[in-house]
Amino acid sequence: MLTEVKNQIKVSFLSIKYALLREMLNKTTFITNVIFMILNNASMIVQWIILYSLKENVGGYTFKQILLLWGIAAGTFGVSRFFFSKAFSLADTINSGKLDAYLVQPKNVLLSVITSEVEVSALGDILYAYIMLFIYGFTLPTFLLFTMFCIGGGIILTAISIILSSLSFWFQKTDVIADTGNRLLTSFATYPDGIFKGLAKILLFTLIPVGIVNYIPVDILSNFNLGLTGIFLFATFLLITLAAFIFYKGLKRYSSSNLMNARI
Amino acid sequence: MSVIEVKNISKTFKVKLKEKGLKGSLKSIVKPKYKKVQAVKNISFNIEKGEMVAFIGPNGAGKSTTIKMITSILYPDKGKISVLGLNPEKDRKKLAYEIGTVFGQKEQLWTHLTPYDNFKFFGAIYDIPEYQIEKKINELKELFELDEFINTPVRNLSLGQRIRCEIVASLIHEPKILFLDEPTIGLDPVVKENIRTLIKRMNKEYKTTVFLTSHDVSDIEKLCKRVIIINNGQLVLDDTMENLKYHYLNKKIVEAKMKEPVNLDGKDGLTILKDRGYNIKIEVDTTKKSVADAIKLLNPDNIIDINISNIPLENIISSIYKDGDTK
Amino acid sequence: MKKYWFIYKSEVMSDLQYIFNLLVGFISYLILIYIFLNLWNYMYDDPTQVINGYTKNQMIWYVIITEILWMTVGGRKLCRKICDDVKGGNIAYNINKPYSYIGYALSSHLGGCTVKAIMFTILGMITGIIFIGEFPKLTILSCIMVLITALLATIINTLLIIFVGLISFFIEDANPFYWLYSKFILVLGTIFPIEYFPSIMQPILIYSPIYVVSYGPAKLFVDFSWEKCLFIIIAQIAYIIIAYLLCRLLYKKGVKRLNVNGG
Repeated sequence: MLTEVKNQIKVSFLSIKYALLREMLNKTTFITNVIFMILNNASMIVQWIILYSLKENVGGYTFKQILLLWGIAAGTFGVSRFFFSKAFSLADTINSGKLDAYLVQPKNVLLSVITSEVEVSALGDILYAYIMLFIYGFTLPTFLLFTMFCIGGGIILTAISIILSSLSFWFQKTDVIADTGNRLLTSFATYPDGIFKGLAKILLFTLIPVGIVNYIPVDILSNFNLGLTGIFLFATFLLITLAAFIFYKGLKRYSSSNLMNARI
Repeated sequence: MSVIEVKNISKTFKVKLKEKGLKGSLKSIVKPKYKKVQAVKNISFNIEKGEMVAFIGPNGAGKSTTIKMITSILYPDKGKISVLGLNPEKDRKKLAYEIGTVFGQKEQLWTHLTPYDNFKFFGAIYDIPEYQIEKKINELKELFELDEFINTPVRNLSLGQRIRCEIVASLIHEPKILFLDEPTIGLDPVVKENIRTLIKRMNKEYKTTVFLTSHDVSDIEKLCKRVIIINNGQLVLDDTMENLKYHYLNKKIVEAKMKEPVNLDGKDGLTILKDRGYNIKIEVDTTKKSVADAIKLLNPDNIIDINISNIPLENIISSIYKDGDTK
Repeated sequence: MKKYWFIYKSEVMSDLQYIFNLLVGFISYLILIYIFLNLWNYMYDDPTQVINGYTKNQMIWYVIITEILWMTVGGRKLCRKICDDVKGGNIAYNINKPYSYIGYALSSHLGGCTVKAIMFTILGMITGIIFIGEFPKLTILSCIMVLITALLATIINTLLIIFVGLISFFIEDANPFYWLYSKFILVLGTIFPIEYFPSIMQPILIYSPIYVVSYGPAKLFVDFSWEKCLFIIIAQIAYIIIAYLLCRLLYKKGVKRLNVNGG
């Protein structure tokens, strides 16, 4: 069991490494992609400079906390899109029958698929996240916590995409739903939760867990809270389990399914 | 001992029908219509250890579906499959360690890496210890003559070299069965010949069972002792290559160049394929007429040149396909 | 001109098939507007407050309009298509055809925008009325003027993106330039009206494409005046002419380069 897990992790990292090497073949494109993504995120600061010129406090956040929120948003996005890029085009992989290639390998199908590509610009997001952390204020504990939140949050985003994409095992044309769901999470991620009220706020901590991925980490980093950290870790664990469960349920259907597009 | 046992398997697909126009596409969102396509109908066969079997049929005959069922990608609706004593449906991972697959049209190699790095990657996938991978790579490098390009990125290799690497990649974990789907597609004749020789050598060396599909009849003729033909999802023929040929060998093609034109109309057992007066091509059904009699009919004194040959295997197979279609 | 109409029409027809995707795509728009609604609700203390010349409702309507304009155009796809045409040799194939490539690209892309534009406009208005509860004071005539400026804005936007795409004649990948352009419009042109920016920046923004591509129609919608309308339309026509000429110039230079170097 233990060696199996070890081998699986080794293969996944090797896969990510090779995928990265592929992207680095063209150095100029690689570097421009990374730098442009950093600039992309940085450009949105304009919005907040203007908003903070109108009010000192937006949605209960100071300007520095907004930067931290951006850091978490970019970091979680970056981790999910860099390491598990294929989880975000999984619906397409399922629809076009491209899972076949992974089914003849003696490894975890889900992990093999999602680690088979990397998105280079996501490295820019990750770098940007740490730039924001440095502006916010760097200490070793915040650095470690921040890293944990980026990885955990990235995994949550990946898990959600896997769950939404797995709909494609059962229903057709659901790839747009997965896309919309993923976009929804990023849309909310950079706005402070204080501006939302009522039902929206409840949704943000449940169905659309932006609250768990983004707001709770900012909260903890500003003011450490063990209970909230526990909630965060529990949610991460829960979503991984759920994603794996639904994906494998779907995979079974994929193999025994009679629905066919390009698979005859 | 049978390594693959396939018993009465069937698989039906539902294919979504696309209707034309805006109204049609709106309708298909609400209530899609399906057409049933039976891709595989009640197929059975056994394959013995070390055999090289050709599994052929026209496009859409159900070849890929069958291979996918044997390799645990798809599950049959009905019937039972056992591969090396394993049930593909239940023991997907276990089975994966024992089989290798090469799909001529789909690449499994990372094209930006060298074959060597690719082989190491596959070694990791199959949990092979480091020292053992090296040994295996060296061994296969010799066998498949990869020395020249084992350190050149795959994208810079010729198609033939790539296919050789694909095959080696699928052999790294010493599979007991190798599935080759159109391994020589798109290659020139010399390279094809080379690949065939290598596959043969591999089969001899490792006693690997080979399950081969190809549209190229010479692949089948030169590699396999046994042929399984399916058409429209049904098994049409499962026989040795010798029997297949022998069965059709009672037909001979006689081509002759004559001094004077001859008239052979209406002679029993003869079919005229081409008649250009002095040049004539006939098919002789030897169950009805011996070749000697046919030549007598031509009048041996009149013959300038003569060529007697078997019906090409290609024609035999396409006539089997056609028979299947008319059924 | 007739052939361009035909290209336009066939593009509209083929787009109708993807209406389901468009509807789902509208959800993303809705979310965005919802976030801005919450943001401005928070930023404004009460509905009568005026910041930089805008009330809360005007600010939300402003974003509704600029986002419709932006999302309708779908610039990234267009830019990528132009780049692919240039790189993939489609342009070389088009040289022998009896139409101008720019005319073709413009008409086919406008065709692709039409269904989306109509849908987003209707749904966007409904969203606005539901979220805000009131419609800006507009006469029928001024509504028509807003639509005209919106159409002109879309044409300018398309031409500018075609221009950016054509840069790929000269460099490996023009997409970063598109990215710069889109960020410029998005950050400085859709979220806030020009009046929100520091006074030193405002003259620059007024002469930039932002004024004709997003600010113009949205400003007229929330605060109509004939004087401004006239000024915006004149600016838009000037921009169309300039953008078209720039595209032709770049295209000619690019084709020449293609002929010299091979595709």
